[in-house]
Amino acid sequence: MNTKTSIDHDRRRRRALLVFQILIYGYLFGAWALQLYMYAHRDW
Amino acid sequence: MSSSEKRLPPGTTESNARLHKWLQRGLFVCLTALALEGTFTFPGLMVWYGFPDLSLVEMCSELSKVRYSDDSRECIFPHPLFAPSEAAGQKTSQDKWGVQPKPQYKRIGFRELVKIRDERLARQAAAKQAQASERR
Amino acid sequence: MSTASFELDVPSAYDDHQSASREAQRKADRWMLPGAILMTTAVLGPIGFPLFLKGMAEQRKALLQGLAVRPMICTLLGYLVIMDSGLNSIGWSLDLIAHHSLISRTLVTAWGNMFDSGYFWHYNELWIGGATAPGEKGWEIALVPTVFCMRLAAAIGFLQMKRWGHQWLIVTCWFGVIYWVGYVANMTVFADLRYAHVVFPVWGWWLYDIFYITPFLAIPYLHTVNREIFSD
Repeated sequence: MNTKTSIDHDRRRRRALLVFQILIYGYLFGAWALQLYMYAHRDW
Repeated sequence: MSSSEKRLPPGTTESNARLHKWLQRGLFVCLTALALEGTFTFPGLMVWYGFPDLSLVEMCSELSKVRYSDDSRECIFPHPLFAPSEAAGQKTSQDKWGVQPKPQYKRIGFRELVKIRDERLARQAAAKQAQASERR
Repeated sequence: MSTASFELDVPSAYDDHQSASREAQRKADRWMLPGAILMTTAVLGPIGFPLFLKGMAEQRKALLQGLAVRPMICTLLGYLVIMDSGLNSIGWSLDLIAHHSLISRTLVTAWGNMFDSGYFWHYNELWIGGATAPGEKGWEIALVPTVFCMRLAAAIGFLQMKRWGHQWLIVTCWFGVIYWVGYVANMTVFADLRYAHVVFPVWGWWLYDIFYITPFLAIPYLHTVNREIFSD
């Protein structure tokens, strides 16, 4: 019973960490893409 | 007992083994990249901006000429310790001001600073010669 | 219960194993620490990197011999955090304090001209000297004496396998998330200024700085490692 809870806990933790990774790299990718878009449309 | 039993590093459980393996590889890539960047930044920049045709002080002066669009700017080396900032109150820089300032200096290509310096010296020499011949 | 002491063979073998492990770890660190410090100076990296690799090889040898040394990932993480905070601190300390040195006026402005105009545009015109990009000085003053110092201290504790090192590395890596988000946002808002007329706009800065994402790689490890391997 205890093992099942801790496995569950582990799984939830890993899912949360995965969500964090997706969010943070997504943010960086978004910022980079936005900067590239600006580069393409402005006289830099 | 399984014969293909893998020894997990301390702190790593079976469920996290793959995650930790890939994180370790990522960390090693970052470390190597930082080491390489650190190694090549200084020499790379120096070569791009004209070393050894330009000494460090000359490179500094050329960069500040471009930065402030002013051919008379020179880098004083060494800069006096408690003097005000070297460009405080400057009025020669070319910018389109607004909430997003837009600098107007030109991009500097590979070893272009050397060319810029040589052209300026040639211009100044020609101007001096023209002045001298006018006086005669 | 008798309090008479008696000798057993097992503790002695255990003690031997422990002292052999400690010695092996020390031997590996004797190469890795100078290697990491030299790499942190950037220019002495070519000397530091081979030293560090030699230390890693020693560590790996000890691990394969079954000695109780630090896990390799902890070693990499700890030293990478030291390098990351060290390199950032050196760069920004040059900009905060040594902005009128020849090395700053040449190297930093050259870097700025190539990658990030914030370090070129009107450099050394402000009363405080150094970079003039909007928000840049705020980031430097906020981060150098706080996060970067704290990360360095936490990494040292982490390498010593201390519980506080593990805990504080978690805290400071989350700090790292904050500064990455904020710094990139500031750059993006003032992108016209940061990238105008640089040699390698956008690509240059990102390719150069993406390798400082140590906090993002550390966080999943720090939150999934078994904390029992860190002692008080």
